[in-house]
Amino acid sequence: MTELFSNLALGFGVAFTPVNLGLCLIGALVGTLVGVLPGIGTIATVAMLLPITFGLPPVGALIMLAGIYYGAQYGGSTTSILVNIPGEATSVVTTLDGFQMAKQGRAGPALAIAAIGSFFAGCVATVLIAVLGAPLTKLALAFGPAEYFSLMVLGLIFAVVLAKGSVLKAIAMIVFGLLLSMVGSDIETGASRMAFNIPELADGLGFATVAMGVFGFAEIIRNLDHGAEMDRNLVQQKITGLMPTRKDLKDSFPAILRGTALGSILGILPGGGAVIASFAAYTLEKKIAKDPSRFGRGAIEGVAAPESANNAAAQTSFIPLLTLGIPPNAVMALMVGAMTIHGIVPGPQVMQKQPELVWGMIASMWIGNLMLIIINLPLVGIWVRLLRVPYRLMFPSIVIFCAIGIYSINNAPVDVILAGAFGLVGYWLTKHDFEPAPLLLGMVLGPLMEENLRRALLISRGDWSVFLTRPLSAILMAMAAFLLVLAVLPSLRKKRDEVFVESES
Amino acid sequence: MSDTPSHVPVKFKMPKWVRGPQDFVGGVALMALAVFALWASSDLQGMHGFSFGAGTAPRMFAVLLLGLGATITLMGLLTDGEHITVYAWRGPLFVSLAIVSFAFTIRPLGLVISAFASFMISALGTPETKWKETIIVGICLTIGCSLLFPYALGLPLQLFPRFLVQ
Repeated sequence: MTELFSNLALGFGVAFTPVNLGLCLIGALVGTLVGVLPGIGTIATVAMLLPITFGLPPVGALIMLAGIYYGAQYGGSTTSILVNIPGEATSVVTTLDGFQMAKQGRAGPALAIAAIGSFFAGCVATVLIAVLGAPLTKLALAFGPAEYFSLMVLGLIFAVVLAKGSVLKAIAMIVFGLLLSMVGSDIETGASRMAFNIPELADGLGFATVAMGVFGFAEIIRNLDHGAEMDRNLVQQKITGLMPTRKDLKDSFPAILRGTALGSILGILPGGGAVIASFAAYTLEKKIAKDPSRFGRGAIEGVAAPESANNAAAQTSFIPLLTLGIPPNAVMALMVGAMTIHGIVPGPQVMQKQPELVWGMIASMWIGNLMLIIINLPLVGIWVRLLRVPYRLMFPSIVIFCAIGIYSINNAPVDVILAGAFGLVGYWLTKHDFEPAPLLLGMVLGPLMEENLRRALLISRGDWSVFLTRPLSAILMAMAAFLLVLAVLPSLRKKRDEVFVESES
Repeated sequence: MSDTPSHVPVKFKMPKWVRGPQDFVGGVALMALAVFALWASSDLQGMHGFSFGAGTAPRMFAVLLLGLGATITLMGLLTDGEHITVYAWRGPLFVSLAIVSFAFTIRPLGLVISAFASFMISALGTPETKWKETIIVGICLTIGCSLLFPYALGLPLQLFPRFLVQ
């Protein structure tokens, strides 16, 4: 327990230096600024802003990135509430009641509750990370290659289960991602794999490049399909009365609590917990509400619960990254990219060797959340004005920013072209109802999986049963199998039902 | 989607036996990709003894993808599914052109020209562009980027054409 406090104290000591506070503030501001732009989600925001942290010392860079991450997420919910366009998957459910509230002239309270809920969830999640960090690091030391491999399989299966739409297509996307991660040089032999003698590919496809392509460029192209004047029914009323009433607070408090609890648990699980957390929280609120019909018509709980849940999940998803070195989602994978650029390999060693880095970042998360609540409420007016910028002017600007961002990562023009190509790939994927998120996760976990698979098989002298004979690994594999069956069953049943309906008619 | 405007030619008319064109084409494309990956990694060493060669994992994943692609294709044949929506050409074309032009001009011509040109090209991506305001915004954005990236963030970006600087 004392260790916990001393760790947190160390963290706050690092985070409370003026420079780091400033970086955290800038990160949160810029993150919100970009996150507010419709059609740019968290992943694209972080990928786009990655280069601006390169010149900083490692701690500062990570603090700023964390700030960008929360800012982007908060910006996404602002767009959902005000324009009914979810910036990203996690704020889809926020549009349901948030936009209705805004239409009723209660945009202020909706935004305030989203911020308060996020802050509360952030506080709880910060403590949770601090509490769970140390024991999980110890657990990580018991992990051999077989366990790591099984854990990643479990993570990928989670991603499949949580992806909307067809399980089969989600698995296909993961395998596509795994295949993409194979491009470059082999870790053991150094042989060049599928690089076609292109020097820029010798190091593999950059993760940020692919992410920017399928999430940034593809999104723009897709938006242009509907014409630049998208259906942007921005709330025209002036936003008055930011503060929620006492009744609002009373109504939303239990919802925030439940959302936080749900989000914290789902976030720890590898495989993109934040999305499912917000959906699950919304569904839960609707289920236990006395009058479920209020939902979708501007119920404040419908904003409070999912916003707290996705923020809690966003934050607890740092746990697998910091303790096991496994990025549980695409944003965390970008974080890994940033860490590697600064020469940090995430995993149990970081906790022990560079405690000031880890705890500084954890402390700065809390500060970042606090800053968001302080800066965003007064700045809502600016965000609204930003949203009034027509898309026909916005999208070329986004294209340029993305292009400069990618170029400056490696100073490589080829990266820009690759990102453009992946933009077209991403556009094609959405046309065929393939989700790009599992693809990115596969790409992130690919090299780690291959390495651990090879090592596990080498140690077991080629015996594949090692994944089932080592108890920890067997448990993880069993969980993965169970989840997969669970995911497939209902869709199987549904498909069969459809077939039956058809044959009858 | 069935509500495609009638003036847009539906390019992807599928034969009748394809009941879910979206899945069918998607699956076939994934299979093609897998075959391509198998070909591309065919020169790599496979298993030797019980240790992996450089080509083992790529081929493993490619075979997996081939299987999944085949299953998706089969689903497209056997179950009714979505139709393929018509691709717009304008947005993808000009956005891609803008990206490519940026990639080719950033080194020789510097950020100022490159960013402004790409801005203009990508603005062609929609018929709703109003040129006057686009040019003004383009100039402002170029100035902003020129101050932000090389100066405020200290990134090594060249601002002006190489032949002018030297």
